[in-house]
Amino acid sequence: MEQTQRRPAGVVSAPSRLLDGLQRWLPKLVIAPTFVLIGIGIYGYMLWTGILSFTSSSFLPTYDFVGFDQYAKLMANDRWLTASKNLAIFGGLFIFACLFIGVVLAIFLDQRIRQEGAIRTIYLYPMALSMIVTGTVWKWILNPSLGIEKLMHDWGWTSFSFDWLVNSDLAIYTIVMAAVWQASGFVMALFLAGLRGVDSSIIRAARVDGASLPLIYWKIILPSLRPVFFSAVMVLAHIAIKSFDLVMAMTAGGPGYSTDLPAVFMYAHTFTRGQMGLGSASAMLMLGAILALIVPYLYSELRGKRHD
Amino acid sequence: MTDMTRPGLRPSRIAIYGLLILACLVYLVPLFIMLVTSFKTPMDIRTGNLVALPTEWTTIGWTKAWSEACTGVQCEGISGYFWNSFKMTVPAVMISTLLGAFNGYVLAKWKFRGSDLLFGLLLFGCFVPFQVVLLPMAATLGQLGLANTTPGLVLVHVIYGVAFTTLFFRNYYVAIPDALIKAARLDGAGFFTIFFRILLPMSTPIFMVSLIWQFTQIWNDFLFGVVFASGDSQPITVALNNLVNTSTGVKEYNVDMAAAMIAALPTLVVYIVAGKYFIRGLTAGSVKG
Amino acid sequence: MSQLELRKIRKTYPGAAEETLKGIDIDIASGEFLILVGPSGCGKSTLMNTIAGLESISDGEIVLDGKDVSGVEPKDRDIAMVFQSYALYPTMSVRENIAFGLKIRGMPKEQIEQEVERVADLLQISHLLDKKPSRLSGGQQQRVAMGRALARRPRIYLFDEPLSNLDAKLRVEMRTEIKKLHQRLQTTIVYVTHDQIEAMTLADRIAVLKDGELQQLGTPKQVYDSPQNMFVAGFMGSPAMSFVHVNVEQGEQGLQAEVQGGDGRSLKLPLPEYLADRVGKKVVLGIRPEHITQPQDQKSDQALVTTGEFTIEVTEPTGPDVIALIRLNDTNVHCRIDPEHPVTWGETAELMFDMKKVVFFDPETEKRITG
Repeated sequence: MEQTQRRPAGVVSAPSRLLDGLQRWLPKLVIAPTFVLIGIGIYGYMLWTGILSFTSSSFLPTYDFVGFDQYAKLMANDRWLTASKNLAIFGGLFIFACLFIGVVLAIFLDQRIRQEGAIRTIYLYPMALSMIVTGTVWKWILNPSLGIEKLMHDWGWTSFSFDWLVNSDLAIYTIVMAAVWQASGFVMALFLAGLRGVDSSIIRAARVDGASLPLIYWKIILPSLRPVFFSAVMVLAHIAIKSFDLVMAMTAGGPGYSTDLPAVFMYAHTFTRGQMGLGSASAMLMLGAILALIVPYLYSELRGKRHD
Repeated sequence: MTDMTRPGLRPSRIAIYGLLILACLVYLVPLFIMLVTSFKTPMDIRTGNLVALPTEWTTIGWTKAWSEACTGVQCEGISGYFWNSFKMTVPAVMISTLLGAFNGYVLAKWKFRGSDLLFGLLLFGCFVPFQVVLLPMAATLGQLGLANTTPGLVLVHVIYGVAFTTLFFRNYYVAIPDALIKAARLDGAGFFTIFFRILLPMSTPIFMVSLIWQFTQIWNDFLFGVVFASGDSQPITVALNNLVNTSTGVKEYNVDMAAAMIAALPTLVVYIVAGKYFIRGLTAGSVKG
Repeated sequence: MSQLELRKIRKTYPGAAEETLKGIDIDIASGEFLILVGPSGCGKSTLMNTIAGLESISDGEIVLDGKDVSGVEPKDRDIAMVFQSYALYPTMSVRENIAFGLKIRGMPKEQIEQEVERVADLLQISHLLDKKPSRLSGGQQQRVAMGRALARRPRIYLFDEPLSNLDAKLRVEMRTEIKKLHQRLQTTIVYVTHDQIEAMTLADRIAVLKDGELQQLGTPKQVYDSPQNMFVAGFMGSPAMSFVHVNVEQGEQGLQAEVQGGDGRSLKLPLPEYLADRVGKKVVLGIRPEHITQPQDQKSDQALVTTGEFTIEVTEPTGPDVIALIRLNDTNVHCRIDPEHPVTWGETAELMFDMKKVVFFDPETEKRITG
């Protein structure tokens, strides 16, 4: 019979046992370095910053604890309040505008458009740029004397005036513009992918039922994209809270501190103004804001998965 | 789900194309302005307008940006910083991608007690605002003698990039059936053999995604660059910002725009060559936020 | 060929409240074809994975050719497995797929080539050797998966629902093919399925599992004719066995039970003598469709055979038979009707009950009452 020539197996020698033991530990050994790095670099440092936020550290870390003093100071700090208010304006407008533009472009692009690939590429390329580059360009475009204002004057609209970039009440909106220009294509890509995933038999069924195309989008397709909507909001909110580069490149927080965002505030106080304790407290509040956003999201995501 | 409208030249189609093309212009015009301005003379910039073509094409803005422009106190152009960025980006991308590949492999295919918890911790790491780690990291780099050095920046980018790369690879490998791993184990393959002989040959797409994502992230980073580097070790983004926001002397917008183009070119090229993978990275990243 | 003993195998997953395997004891003889069946979640796949060494056991012993291999790595157990999803390496050609395990075990090149040729001949896949798995049909992939296992000449073959991803026709073909291969090579095979027809047709012995416990271990005939409990009885056979609750009575000609039809008519069914000590008590009567037919002359005079009239509720023609539904004591009961003499629903038909092969269960323990 053919099976008679089989090799002896199952005879396990001592060194092989040792190797087996090693094999069993290999997966843990392989990921250990990463988790040491992450454990220190994220969780350890988070704790450390938390501790610093309860101290009176100024130019150098010190460890005399002052309780919630820094947080109290922060809440009474005009600049911090402006930064927080700016984040609300910036974040709200940025998220809303990106969603609106992204959804509209995605729906329009989903109508069997010729050259769809090329158009998609154009919408999305700003996402590949550094925010510093984006900020530099928009700062130039919005330049009060030589930028868009001059363009309009050249084209005959001589009364046109656009000085938002240097107007402390309006400068924050120029940052919204640049940020929307950069990120709206990304939202479009997310929703386009979502639209492509919608079960076409549902749409055919709605057509058979006599629904019009806009109605189908509004009542059937968009509601089914709820998860995409949530992820998009998550990503955009995350970008907004962490926003730093764009402000630094366009206004550096100015005029005055009218375009400060929490990230700019934190950087300025921690690294240039020698108020580490206050800076740390602001960082912890940023973390708190993200947590308030992420934890319910992650919770519902993980719970949803468990139901599958 | 596109099979509902028959293409034709009805008014609604014209409106759709009109809007799509208008949007294309909105997205393209800043790039166009950046390009034409970079080829203008300062005189031309003052007399012309944003979208006018240069009356006289010149590369003086580019050469000046590359080798003469002032970034703060030094006036040696941005070439040195451009190479700094490469020296920082290439190793950081390589290391974080490789680590991510192995981590993803373990977390997807060699689960052990507690591995899901570790993954959760990692996932959370993707969301943390970096402001919360800046100060201790600066202190640690100082202790290690890595403050203001390129290796220091590489280390930072590896630590805060590995969560993303791990996520990419883990999600990719989770979709590969476990039976494949079991079959290979019964065939006598061990941990590394399975990875290198079975999984690695299937991983080209996700390697592309990870490499490109990390490349654009690290190249475009400003926060770590401005906090952890100074002087000679600064990356291009920091140098560009210094150049643009230097208040001394006359503003030369052609130089600013040429410098911005130089800073943007590597990622733009990557995007044009491998945009497919870039989009995959973005949408995969959206799971993480 | 090898012999495998599973001794009191227990398995609890970390963090799980209940044991997945609750002490499984099975001896598998050399060259035997053993089939594990059971509903999903019964632990059959876990048991298979523990035999392969892909999952550890919490307690017990897995003895392969007299040696305890419980702690041995899968690669050292010399066991091959065919997966439900085939698990072919997608980046390798068919040839490389088959050769992979041999290469890792350090077999010389020429010998590997010979082995690949031998297996390819055996499974008639020689013309596919240079293709990638993605270019093959489901049936061809299945053959390659078997080829990969055969090339290794392992001590034991494990099949994990290998046919469940094939369409119905191909499934029957491959079933025959596997049976032929086993008869030819006389290999020891442990085969998991949830398809009871596959179990009946292929197995030397069947092990029926439920909730991590072995319900019955026996030949297909034993399991079909003498199920040890109501679960096994209901699981094997299609249409399934019908269960009717009846009272055991002492009649003039022996033991009997009265059943009521859907229309109120009743019939006294004769019962075997071994139920004597259950007189006045309830039992569950387990009756298969083939035990209720139209009257057949040569049988109708035999002991434990009786006829009665019942209203047909539903008929389901299957081709060779018509399955008719009647009601007995408020339970649906399937009968097997000759398609040449069909009945229609609503009609009253005379049916013959052959009580010789009917089995009885204790309603409390659900165990079969034996004579």
